[in-house]
Amino acid sequence: MNNLLNTILKDTFSVNLLKHRLRILKSNLLKTFFGSNQEELSLCAEDINWLKSIPLPLYQQFDKDNVYQIFSNLEMEISKLKVLTIYLTFEPDEITLSQIGAFARKTFDPTLLLDIKLNPNLIAGTAFAWKGIYKDYSLHAKIEEKKPEILEGFKRFLR
Amino acid sequence: MENLPIDLGVLIAAAFAVVAIILYLREYNQRKKLQSEGDKFLQQIKEKGWETLNQSIKKSQAILGQAELAGVKVAAQTSFETSKLEEEYSRQLQAVLNQSQRAITASQNQLLQFMQDLQKRSGEFEQASQSSGQERINQLFERLETKLSDFLIQTEQKTTSSIELELKAARQLLDTYKSEQLKLIDENIMAMMEQTLSLVLAKKLSLKDQLDLIYEALEKAKIEKFIV
Repeated sequence: MNNLLNTILKDTFSVNLLKHRLRILKSNLLKTFFGSNQEELSLCAEDINWLKSIPLPLYQQFDKDNVYQIFSNLEMEISKLKVLTIYLTFEPDEITLSQIGAFARKTFDPTLLLDIKLNPNLIAGTAFAWKGIYKDYSLHAKIEEKKPEILEGFKRFLR
Repeated sequence: MENLPIDLGVLIAAAFAVVAIILYLREYNQRKKLQSEGDKFLQQIKEKGWETLNQSIKKSQAILGQAELAGVKVAAQTSFETSKLEEEYSRQLQAVLNQSQRAITASQNQLLQFMQDLQKRSGEFEQASQSSGQERINQLFERLETKLSDFLIQTEQKTTSSIELELKAARQLLDTYKSEQLKLIDENIMAMMEQTLSLVLAKKLSLKDQLDLIYEALEKAKIEKFIV
């Protein structure tokens, strides 16, 4: 179980991607065990590559009797994982997301998941929400901190 | 002579006529006798009456004389008494008149005295009333002047206070408006600057720079123990 989760988490850093990968894995296994009566998901090349990257022994632990149970346990384990909400000023591609995720896991927790949200008002940098508390580390926050000095500079310039 | 037929009826009628004549004559004689007796009696009575009358007249005259005498006496006495009474009456009337005159004079004098007193008192009262009224008017004017002065001072103070409050409120409003406008201008400056920076940095900031900023933020969060 932990091997499977660790394997999935190894190159999966965001909550959305984790949910997507679990869904395609489950769909693929259900298709394998129960035929094509399940809902068919359209898979892109990246999805197929990811499915292929999963080692065979992990696949072999599934059969048609335990597949639901394993996924149920997996979801329970995933719900226990720590999630850091990170606000970005741009939409990261998968590589960038992997770089950010890898750095975050290296810095905090190897199983940390990121919940990526976009906020262009931050100008540059990022902001976090951790356990319901928001903290802004962006350029916007720095500008707000220096607001009186900036305005004073403007006023001096206008004089 | 021839025999005349004698009738019984005629005889009876003749007899009755004879009787009647006789009776008439007898009655006539009696009446005449009675008349003469009556005349005689009347003459007697007349004579007696004259005599009585004369006596009466005499007596009356005597009485009248006495009466006249008595009347003269009475008249004289009455006249005396009357004059006496008149005199007494006049005297008493004069006395009453004199007394009344004196009483009237006294009353008149009293009335005059009373009127003089009344006039004097009225004058005094008028004088006192005038002075009292003047005093009250003076007091009233003084109070009015004091109250008017107080009222004017209070009004002035209130007006000044009200104007000061209005000025203060106006200044506060102006300050508030000014600060709000300045705040708005500051916010606009900041918004413009942020928008400009956002536009510029979106083009000029590389992915590596973006990632460096994110790594820096993650490390800072770790140092601050925001993410544990």
